[in-house]
Amino acid sequence: MSGADVAPGVDTRSVRVVRAYLRSRGPARGGLLDRYVAGFGLAMLAAVLGHPLTTVLQGLAGAADPARVSAGAALLALALAGFLAAARAAGPVMLSAADASWLLPSPLNRRHLLGRTARVLFTVAVAAGLLLGLGLIAVLGVPDQLVWRLLGAMVLGVSATAGGMALAVLGQASQPWQVWVTSATVALLVAAVVTVTGQLRTVLAVAASAPLSAVAVAAAVAAASSALLVRHAWASLDRIPTRTLVTASTRAGHVANAAVGLDPDALTWIAEDNHWRARKLSSRRWPALPAPLALAWHDWRRVGRRPGRLGTMFAMSALPAVLAQAGGAPVTLGAAVLAGSLAVAAVSVSGARRDSDNPALSRLLGVDRRQALAARAVLPMLLSGAWATLGLAALSATGGLPGAWWLFGLLTAPALAAAALRMARRGPVDHSMPIIDTPGGAIPTGPLRWALTGVDLAVLGCLPAVAALLSPPGPLGGFLAAQAAAGALVLVGYVVRNRG
Amino acid sequence: MAPTENRRDRLCDRLARLESVYDSIISVHDLTVELGGNPVLRDMELTVSPGEIVAVVGPNGSGKSTLLRCLAGLQPATSGEVRVFGEPPADDAAFWRRVAMLGDEPAWYPGLTAREHLELMGAVHAEARMEVEGALEVFALVERADAPPLNLSTGQRQRLSLASALLRPSTLLLLDEPERGLDAGFRARLADLLEEYAGEGGTVVMATHDHDLAGRARQISPSGVDA
Repeated sequence: MSGADVAPGVDTRSVRVVRAYLRSRGPARGGLLDRYVAGFGLAMLAAVLGHPLTTVLQGLAGAADPARVSAGAALLALALAGFLAAARAAGPVMLSAADASWLLPSPLNRRHLLGRTARVLFTVAVAAGLLLGLGLIAVLGVPDQLVWRLLGAMVLGVSATAGGMALAVLGQASQPWQVWVTSATVALLVAAVVTVTGQLRTVLAVAASAPLSAVAVAAAVAAASSALLVRHAWASLDRIPTRTLVTASTRAGHVANAAVGLDPDALTWIAEDNHWRARKLSSRRWPALPAPLALAWHDWRRVGRRPGRLGTMFAMSALPAVLAQAGGAPVTLGAAVLAGSLAVAAVSVSGARRDSDNPALSRLLGVDRRQALAARAVLPMLLSGAWATLGLAALSATGGLPGAWWLFGLLTAPALAAAALRMARRGPVDHSMPIIDTPGGAIPTGPLRWALTGVDLAVLGCLPAVAALLSPPGPLGGFLAAQAAAGALVLVGYVVRNRG
Repeated sequence: MAPTENRRDRLCDRLARLESVYDSIISVHDLTVELGGNPVLRDMELTVSPGEIVAVVGPNGSGKSTLLRCLAGLQPATSGEVRVFGEPPADDAAFWRRVAMLGDEPAWYPGLTAREHLELMGAVHAEARMEVEGALEVFALVERADAPPLNLSTGQRQRLSLASALLRPSTLLLLDEPERGLDAGFRARLADLLEEYAGEGGTVVMATHDHDLAGRARQISPSGVDA
């Protein structure tokens, strides 16, 4: 059924009546005291953040460092591309599971039904746009008129994100618009690459020193274009196919349940299953390998079947170098390399994750757990080692971390593989663990413990590399030897600790 | 000598060897299991000989699955003794190399097809009972061999699970409602396949609600009494 097939007499009031009825049957809404507490909390937040925020904004005054403009602009382009991709992946138009089941197939006016979602999406886009505007002003600097330039940047940022969100909504309503969303994302990625190579330096210099009137014109044009797209997206809400909305709503429901429920790992399962369910595969013969390696081969095959993701992951190894150009401190750069390589290792341990959550298949396979774990460590070790080595080599090449730092890439790999396996095999969040009250607020130890499981092993196994980052520049020989020993010990210890 | 005869001889040897080593593959004595304070199994006695097919029958909640989990070492007994191959069952690789268990649907590995799951099963076991192509034919999965298991119907996924369990070599097969999702035709075929497995020296213990499947096995109730 299309939303355009609205029954006579079914108008916006009907949606309001239905929602009012549902509210009356649901849990009681917050009383006056709750609203007072929420308002007071917001006022306190504004009071606490007001001064530091003003200081940060005043610190933006002055011309930007020309050496950092290109890298900063590239990061902004990447952030906007990420926003578009996330909006598209989320739906973005969706309803709660109950609304999708009961209200969507009803004769209620579709646009009014989706109005609340549209307003939430707009709010999200505005919030992201304000951050983007702040980033823009931080990158380009403020030669004069701080307030007006800040306002212009905010308008540009909000126009970009609101326009992007509108594009994603239009893409949900019709196939041709999906091409536009893809083109915009690809264009932003290309722009990021071109910018980071420094080829747009002149353009960025012109933008940074543009007179206020030019900024005003640019902001006005961007706002007008964005408003047109938003209006078009609002009109298209009627045309989004029911099936698309149900799929997006179901997916969002699963994700929300997993995120606020007991098992954030379920998000990985959902993403994996959704991906492979939509793919056409052709079987290939299994290589003749010893049993543990034959079992681990599953992860190799799975990674090999997503060459695009593999390519994107390795392209991202240039990100620490971009951060270095944007003025990142050595510790930040080292942390970015370690976090990136841990993330790369974590995407190649799907078999261990499945077997840990549901060991039925691994029992049928009957492979010794310790041997299976050792065999499954090989792929994350190779991938994280290669990623970290590339990232550190790029940092050395751009002067971010001069010297033989790339050797740490190979030497941290065993510890990162152990950490990725530990992350994959951790159980769901234990919400029965105590909540510790501190002056800064309550700390739920269950989610905290869950979040730190795996990261603890990475930090422990990479301590020599971290120590080298925190020490004054000097010879790396001792740190490298210590890192080789620490990485190997952590991996061997983790594997041996698991019983067969 | 033809390869089939060779295999049959090997299997007969194996059965004879098993019978000489163990009088009983499974021996349960005085088994009591309480779940949340409720007795699910009480003072159960059970002995299963090599090559036997045993069907555990009874209404929902009578303890059929609990018994299977006890035999697999996945459910500790409140009191009593469970011995499988003369030892208490242990959830480790050495045990699972001899025992194949099929309970709820396993979590299929992402990014693999149905055929590749069977290939993997064959690759990790030195002497598979069937060739992958043969298993696909026996379990009527040839046409869906290239599909990820998640894209198969419930019945097809159950056939894939059964194919995985029967393709690999094992001495003891523990099945929890193997008829789940299967059509009537394939249920009859499954009974033949289990008899074939037992004929090769394997022992089957299954919880089932299927009368025909149970009719071709020694039936017991979870209380341990022959049904």
